[in-house]
Amino acid sequence: MSNSTDQNQVITEYLLGSLPEGESERLDELGVTSQEFAESISASEKDLIDAYVQGELSGAMLAQFESHYLASPIRRERVEFAEAFQVFARTHRALEDSPTRGQADLDRKRKRGWLSTLSIFSEQYPALLRGLALAAIIVIVAGVFVLRQNARLREQMSLEQAHRDELQQREIELQKQLDQLRAGHTAAERELALLREERLRIEEKLSKSGQLPASEAAIVSFILTPQLRGVGQAQSVSIPVNTARVTMRLTLEPNDYQTFTVALLDQSNHQELWHSGKLKAGSRGDDRSLNVSFSALLMKTQSYALQVSGISTNGQAEVLSDYPFKVVKY
Amino acid sequence: MVSTTPKQNRTAELAEQTFRRLLAWLDQGANSNGQSYLAIRERLLGYFDRKNCVQADELADETLNRVARRLEEEGGNIETEMPAKYCYIVARFVFMEYLRAKEREIVALDDIGRQANATSPEDRDRKERLLECLDRCSAKLEASQRELIFGYYSGEQRVKIENRRSLAQTLKITVNALSIRACRIRDRLEHCVRECASGE
Repeated sequence: MSNSTDQNQVITEYLLGSLPEGESERLDELGVTSQEFAESISASEKDLIDAYVQGELSGAMLAQFESHYLASPIRRERVEFAEAFQVFARTHRALEDSPTRGQADLDRKRKRGWLSTLSIFSEQYPALLRGLALAAIIVIVAGVFVLRQNARLREQMSLEQAHRDELQQREIELQKQLDQLRAGHTAAERELALLREERLRIEEKLSKSGQLPASEAAIVSFILTPQLRGVGQAQSVSIPVNTARVTMRLTLEPNDYQTFTVALLDQSNHQELWHSGKLKAGSRGDDRSLNVSFSALLMKTQSYALQVSGISTNGQAEVLSDYPFKVVKY
Repeated sequence: MVSTTPKQNRTAELAEQTFRRLLAWLDQGANSNGQSYLAIRERLLGYFDRKNCVQADELADETLNRVARRLEEEGGNIETEMPAKYCYIVARFVFMEYLRAKEREIVALDDIGRQANATSPEDRDRKERLLECLDRCSAKLEASQRELIFGYYSGEQRVKIENRRSLAQTLKITVNALSIRACRIRDRLEHCVRECASGE
């Protein structure tokens, strides 16, 4: 099918004189030496003429048809025949499709000849008959044009509707995927927060009992207090260069929040370097605190701040306190 | 160089024996009853037509006359890959001579436009005459042939393609075979209409 379409395309270009000379000569030769190819040329030529007659050619193709193809009187005769043939074919189909006219009627018409039924009329009023015949041809052509336009519009509308349905379906699927991802993300965050808390608790316990293995001594822990208003003195923490992780306990100011997040900020440019998941506060008597742990690689000798935000039940975050500190790496 | 006598006379120009030799050589051992000759003549006609030659008919005959004369000189056989290939080579020479002898008669685009838009009473008469002839000639076709060409050539663009596919399925043949069948019927119809319209 595709080869046949390609061949038709090449033959059409050949007939329009648009092929390069070498290729055109090859087809010249094939057209004489191969009966099959000669018949393909003939079939494509008829389709090309019909396309011209039906107004399907445009742009360069139309220009080439008129300048090259129509240069031959024999070909112009073919076009003239094709015009008459198309009108006749449409009339033939219309008569056949008409429910009020059966095959017998059609055969009778054929026997008499389709214009001969008006022969008496034609003898008396030849000019009027010619006018009527011309009007009939114009009506048929206009009718076909309108039908074609309608068909095109219907096809276009149906394509657009199908496209809209497809987009709607895709939107639903994407929404589902997004919901699933959100659910998974929330669960993962919750699990991560629990794991971190658990790990910090164990590390703290080990640290107190002096059982922290040498290989994990690369974790350093500090307790930070919130910055008091008007007091700019930041706490200083010393971190060995080979430290892998830094653990901070942040004592909280009194508040009603149950869930928190913590962000590590670079004080020099206020860029956020790290952000925790949702955290629950641990409590010791009336004091509540948050434990956070992050990679020591994030830090160099300069000033940082841990910023604590409370998360309300509807998910909104409110900044509660900053915990500035100065790192000294050694 | 190119003869301007009618083709029947030109064919008669060849001595009977020369013509028989040509038919036998074109048949290459088979006996096609002149079908090979008619087929190659038709293809040569198409070649000259596509080259925008005004007298394509005469050039096709001139080509075959030269081939026949060469055959006569060679004692009934010409060493070639196949007869059609040799005919093509001769046709190319005939075409080049034609080009040298005469400027191609290319009708200016403006003239074509005027002709296409012409709605003179003569044009209308001619179109009516064509329609009458179409009616007569299509009545001479078998009903199945009539259905085939009107089915095959009806509709536009996609509708036409669908019509053809469905027609090929109904007839249990390929679309390609259908196109050749429809094309042959249309050629016959066109030939009949042309003869009818010219009052032959």
